[in-house]
Amino acid sequence: MKRSACAALVLALCAGLVTACKKAEAPPAPAAAPPPAATPVPAPIHVVDISLGKSLNADQTVAEPTTTFAPTDKLIASVKTDGASSHATLTARWTYEDGQTVNESSKAIAPSGPAATEFTLEKPDGWPTGKYQLEVLLNGASAGKRDFVVQ
Amino acid sequence: MGIFGSGGGGEKPPPGKPKADFSNVKATSSSTAPPPAAPAAEERTYVVVKGDTLSKIAQQLYGKASAWTRIYEANKDLIKDPDRIYPGQKLRIPQ
Repeated sequence: MKRSACAALVLALCAGLVTACKKAEAPPAPAAAPPPAATPVPAPIHVVDISLGKSLNADQTVAEPTTTFAPTDKLIASVKTDGASSHATLTARWTYEDGQTVNESSKAIAPSGPAATEFTLEKPDGWPTGKYQLEVLLNGASAGKRDFVVQ
Repeated sequence: MGIFGSGGGGEKPPPGKPKADFSNVKATSSSTAPPPAAPAAEERTYVVVKGDTLSKIAQQLYGKASAWTRIYEANKDLIKDPDRIYPGQKLRIPQ
């Protein structure tokens, strides 16, 4: 009995020693620090949406998009862009069904993210009825067209 | 028989419909994006000579000694003490 108790004690001590040795092992290497977050490069400016309407929200978006206007309405185009540019030019080219240019106006902007640019046309004596087209250009290149009617 | 007068011009208004007049169209525009920064004005510089003070330079360049603060503000990275400027220092002179 004594022998077996002694053996058990020795075994227990050895086990404790192993455990102690394990605990004394060098701590696992700390997880590698995550790589520094890459600085996001802003996307170049691009046109996201072109909307037509008769009135604007405070954020320069069209309140109620439509493609049908009355002769007395204001013609409002809202151009949503995203991306950044230190100098971009948005142009709204409005044409009538007979090919006449109704108006062409440009706006220089320097957005750093999402932006909305509006172009408003008014004609005191009313718009001739017929078909019209709005073409939006970004830096001289066509970015989209919208057809609408005045009736 | 001439080459003109054959009709069918693409921009010709349909018969009975006068050509639309868009001469009085008013256009406005605005944007949530800021306008591009104006190109920086050409920056003048002044090289300090012996005996100069900021007031003296301001008097010379702006016509009033009290404008020395403009020069100081534009050169705070160079001038630690506005009472001490040194010959050879190249100062930015704001417009």
